Amino acid sequence: MTGIADRDGGVRISVLRQTIDRGAVPTAAGVAAALGLSRQDVLASFERLGADHVFVLDPRTREVLMANPFSAVPTPFVVRSGQRQWWGNCIWDALGIPAIIAADAEIDCACGDCGEPMTVAVRDGAVAGEGIIHIGVPFGHWWDDIVYT
Amino acid sequence: MLLFRSEEHSERWCEARGIAPGGTMTLATGWRLAHTWYHDKLEPGWRRRSAEEAEAVFAELGLTGEAWRLRPPPVQG
Repeated sequence: MTGIADRDGGVRISVLRQTIDRGAVPTAAGVAAALGLSRQDVLASFERLGADHVFVLDPRTREVLMANPFSAVPTPFVVRSGQRQWWGNCIWDALGIPAIIAADAEIDCACGDCGEPMTVAVRDGAVAGEGIIHIGVPFGHWWDDIVYT
Repeated sequence: MLLFRSEEHSERWCEARGIAPGGTMTLATGWRLAHTWYHDKLEPGWRRRSAEEAEAVFAELGLTGEAWRLRPPPVQG
């Protein structure tokens, strides 16, 4: 069991590291190549990490859809740091990107109500910007439908 | 979890969808929460927080109430 847990931990870190370095969430094949594992082994890790709510998988392909805080697909939360760019799953995750990369970043998003563009910056460990964050789905029910959440 | 220009905008958004307003927090609190949540996810020893640990993080940041509850409320009496 320790071997499986270690492998899953390595897959988790590889997914996140490749996402940070390349600006895109890797496929199972990409993780397999980086770690010297078979694609099937990586897909099995994805399933366990998905079941543990560490990542969210695409229901059709079983690839990683959300490597929280990163999204594999475009979202309204664009996060930039230097020349790099990612998508956050929501404003919490968008703020989580400068936290996980340990670097300054800017978040381009919009008011959820009126659509007015909004920019949030994280610089030197502090956040700057306007607005309030609203949690529409109680935290205890987030995983009932995490994509909607 | 969305960002709104103000409470007025978040309330209007809820009203348009017929849902009860949930919890709100400032950007500063959101940043502290996000930093606490994600700053160590690249570390080998990282593990997902238990419900109890997650609620402790929320409480530390003053995030209390139904929106932030993961476990059933304690039985009174």
